[in-house]
Formats: sequence, structure tokens, C-alpha cells
Amino acid sequence: MESSTDAAKHTRRSFLDLVLGIGATGWLASVLYPVIRYLTPLPSAGPSGPVKLSADQVKTLDKERFVIVPVQGKRILVFQDPAQNVRALDARCTHEGCTVQFVPGESVIWCACHNGRFDLDGRVLSGPPPRPLSQYLARQDAEGGVTVTPQTA
Amino acid sequence: MSATAPRSGLFGWLDERYGISPLIEFLRHKEVPIGAHPMVWYYLGGMTLFFFVVQIITGVLLLMYYQPGEATSYESIRYIATKVPFGWLIRAIHCWSAHLMIMSLVVHMFSTMLLKAYRPPRELTWLTGFGLFGIALGFGFSGYLLPWNELSYFATAVGTDSVKSVPVIGHWLLLVMRGGEDVSINTLYRFFAGHVVILPLICAGLISVHLLVIQRQGMAPPIHGETARGMPFFPNFALRDLLLWLVCLTTLAMLAVLLPYGPGLPGMEWELGSKANPLAPAYPGIKPEWYFLWIYQLLKEFPAHLLGMEGPEVCLLVVSLLMGVWAVIPWLDRTAQRGRHSPGFTDLGFAVIYFLTFLTLKAADLGVAETPTNDAETAVVATFCAYITLGVAVVATLTRVLVYHHRWFVLSAAALAHIALHGLLGWSYLTVGAVVAVVTAVVLVASGQLRTGAEAGVES
Repeated sequence: MESSTDAAKHTRRSFLDLVLGIGATGWLASVLYPVIRYLTPLPSAGPSGPVKLSADQVKTLDKERFVIVPVQGKRILVFQDPAQNVRALDARCTHEGCTVQFVPGESVIWCACHNGRFDLDGRVLSGPPPRPLSQYLARQDAEGGVTVTPQTA
Repeated sequence: MSATAPRSGLFGWLDERYGISPLIEFLRHKEVPIGAHPMVWYYLGGMTLFFFVVQIITGVLLLMYYQPGEATSYESIRYIATKVPFGWLIRAIHCWSAHLMIMSLVVHMFSTMLLKAYRPPRELTWLTGFGLFGIALGFGFSGYLLPWNELSYFATAVGTDSVKSVPVIGHWLLLVMRGGEDVSINTLYRFFAGHVVILPLICAGLISVHLLVIQRQGMAPPIHGETARGMPFFPNFALRDLLLWLVCLTTLAMLAVLLPYGPGLPGMEWELGSKANPLAPAYPGIKPEWYFLWIYQLLKEFPAHLLGMEGPEVCLLVVSLLMGVWAVIPWLDRTAQRGRHSPGFTDLGFAVIYFLTFLTLKAADLGVAETPTNDAETAVVATFCAYITLGVAVVATLTRVLVYHHRWFVLSAAALAHIALHGLLGWSYLTVGAVVAVVTAVVLVASGQLRTGAEAGVES
């Protein structure tokens, strides 16, 4: 008789523990979820179509042979290759995210942070970068204006 | 009888209400063990705390003028440094004190490790201390971005990019840290909140626990098992502490006045430079603070891919494993747990010092005039840094043998062999590291020295 009462109590207590546990977990989740969502930044808004370089950016491109422009929240390296074609690559090094640059004298893309080198197609030549740089479509019109399309080539 | 007699005045008033007599009695009988090893190691914790207090005071003063924002962060720091009366001094003290705090913290941590002060019952002291070390690095990393200059921008880009290697939640962590895909002014807002609110709160909690357990258990006595003499904490030790803090304050003031923008060493300079421009390419010579240099260099040593993973991922996995092992040393060192010497762990401490020294020196590009851009210049740096590290190791080893009678050198010898083969013979850092690790493991197991290293040896 006593043991069956104990068993009943045990079952009741276990059940209440379970309910309390679920309640506490639910309460914790309801507190944490809004905080996690609050901390997660919204995707950056920006024009989704092709981006035309400003006159200043084109001037820098002509002078330095490269310029870094923001396209849809990304840093894009626009440069003139030795054949005077305008090309575009992701400017974020695939190693640790530093901004790369075009070295006209050596015809390479170089990241100064960890000495990573890429060819003009974005392929890794040397150094620690694990992946190539993404290529983007760049076009120069007859008037000298440059347009970068935010889709990888 | 007289001890329990009611006291008058403010003390009596407080004692009647809050019962502070036992606390006074506790402090009266508190002692610091002396006699077995130099007392200098006992002052480092207090010194670190002193520099932290300086950080809080100067940090609050900087907050009176600092304005976080794309158009204001850099400008307000420049205003503080050039226009505000003594603003340059407050900033210089804040920067110098930050570096000196981490220096004394690192020496404190290594002295604790080498003297085995982490052994029971002080595991929690070690663990909270390790946590405080992590928080201090967090303070350094978050504070670095606040001037919003070029150097800090790229250092933050590299540092935050590392978190993407964390399995499953890496990308989410990156977004939360940066406030977006890239380092932007949103990153600065988050780092500012972390630097002035979140980290100080966590730090205050950890310091409280750290100090509480130290006060409760006292400072760790030497491992010899001898009955050490004791020095009364009040007033003898406390007055010495106070005097040291005075020396620290004077040194800090002199350094801030004579070198307000730092000594100009790699990873230890805080010239404001140019304002951050997310659309400018990174330039040669960008380096993080000196205490992150070893990770920065290790990232360079890893190839693009290794063991089916990307190089940076493997590198950060290795760093995390090393940090994890370091955190649980009190539980790994079972010989010290029994109050006996563990020469293997002492030697591990020295091996870690050599490992960190070489990588830090190499990251600083010692031996060449400018940042190396080709393999030949990199080899010159490696050779130069290997010679310096080996020189330091010779002095340290002679001291260990002649003064402390150490006889167990397997791990430090392996670390030095690694450095010598890489730096002097030009072998790949990772390849030779793996070969040395395997050979060391085989030698230890074959010769039964694994046990000898962990067990008691001739060591003081």
C-alpha cells in the first residue's frame, strides 16, 4: 500500500518536474530568442542592378589603375589589366578578409595583410588564401563610363 | 575579553549593525608565505589590478569627449589628443596602461603556471584568472577599433574574420560581432558597447570571484611541502603592494609623457594615422597588438588547405585546442595535484614561452628594414628570430640547470629543435613542427619519460 503511494508520488513528482523543466526551457527560449534576433543584423539594402562608377571613381581608376567600390554592401576591386580591359574582382581576400589591391607593375592582385597573391582572374598564386577571388562583370562604355554588375562572372 | 568588548565610534556603529569584527580578525591573521621562492611573483596580480583601475579611471575620462560615429569617432579622438587640455596625457596613460596591464597579466599567468600555484585547492583561481586573461584580450581587441583609423579597421577585419571558422554558428557570430557582413561603423557601435559596458561587467564579476577565492584560501605556498614562513598581509605586504603601485604610477606617467604615442615597436604604437576608409586597400606592415602577433604569424604559416579543411580553420582549431589545454592544466597535472614536482609541466611552460617568443618576433619582422614581400626576406626574418629565441633559451636553460637544478628538458628541447630547423635550415614551419611532435612523442613513450616528466624530479 505504502509503496504504491510512493510510486504514485514519484510519478506525480516526475511529471511535475518534467512540466517545470519544459516551462523553464520555454521561458528561457522566449527570453533568448528576441535577444538573438535583435543582435542579428538585417541584410544590407542597396541597389540590386548594375552600378555605374562615379566620375571620381573613374578618375581614380585611370590614375591608380584600380579603384575599390561598394556594390550591394560588398567591396569590389575594379582594375585595368595590361590590355586596358576593365575587370572586377571581389576585393575581400579569401584568407582573413583584408582588402586586396591591384599591383600594375607585377600584374597581380595582392593582399598586404598576409602576403596573399592572386592572378588577374582571381586565382591564388601564392600565400595562405584558400580560395580564389570571385569575378564580377565590368564593362566600359564608349564614353569611358564603367559599370559593374553585382553577379559573379 | 577585550576583543569582544563593544567598540565606540564609527567602527562600533558599523560593527553593531553589520558584524565586521570577524572580517578585521581575518585580515589581521592573514599571511603571505615567504622564503621558498622570490616574492616578486606575489605582486603581479596586484600590479595587474592596479593597471586595470587606471584603465577604468582614464577610460571614464576619455568617455567625456569620445563620440562613437562614422563622422565623430576619429575626429573626437583627434580632438582629445590635440585640443583638450591634457587629453593627450589621458589617452597616452590609457594606452600605456592597457599594454602594461596585459604584460603583467601574462607574467602573472606564467609565474602561476611554473610555480604550480594552480594545484588543488586553487583550480578555480586559475580558471577565473584564465577567464580574466581572455577578457583582457577582449578589451584590447575592442578598444583598438574605437579610434576608427586605418590600422584598427584592418586589424578588426582580420580578427573578426577568424570567428567564421567556428563550426555551425561561425557566420552568425561574424554577423553579430560586425553588425553586418563587413566591418563598418555598426561594428564600432557594437565594440564600443562591449568595451565600455559588457566587458567591464563580466570583468568585475570575474575579478570579484578571483579575489574572493584568493582571500579565502590565501596565496599558494611553495610546492616543496616545507613549512614556509609567513609575512602579515596587513600592514607589511599591503604597504609593499602600495609602494609598488606608486612605482607603477610614476613609471606610467613617465612613459606617457616621454612616449605619448607608444615606443614605436610592432604591435605597440597608437599614432592616430589616417581615418578608416573601408574602400582603401590594406597596406604593408599592418599588425595587430603585440599579444595577438603569435596568432597573426601562425595564420601566415598555415597553407591554403590542410587535412581537407581551409588553412585558417585548421590554424584557429589548433589555437583553440592550445588555449583549451592551457585552461585545464590544473586537472592535467596530476602530480602537482598530489603536492609533488611535475618537471614535465614546468618544461611545458618554457616550451610554450619559446613557441610564443619565436612567432611574436617573426610577426614583428625583425631582421629586415621593411615588411618582407618575398620568400628570401621571410627566410632572413626567420633566421634572425631563431637566433634571438635560441639565445634567450640558452640563458633560460643555464639558469634552470645552475640555479634551479632542473633536469627535464624534453619539451623545451623539442620546441627549440622546431625553431632551429625552421629558422636556421629553412624547413617548412608546419612540416618540421609535425615531425618534431611525432619524434618527441615516440621518444617520450619509448624511453618511459612521459611518466618521469610528470612525476617528481630533481627540481626546486
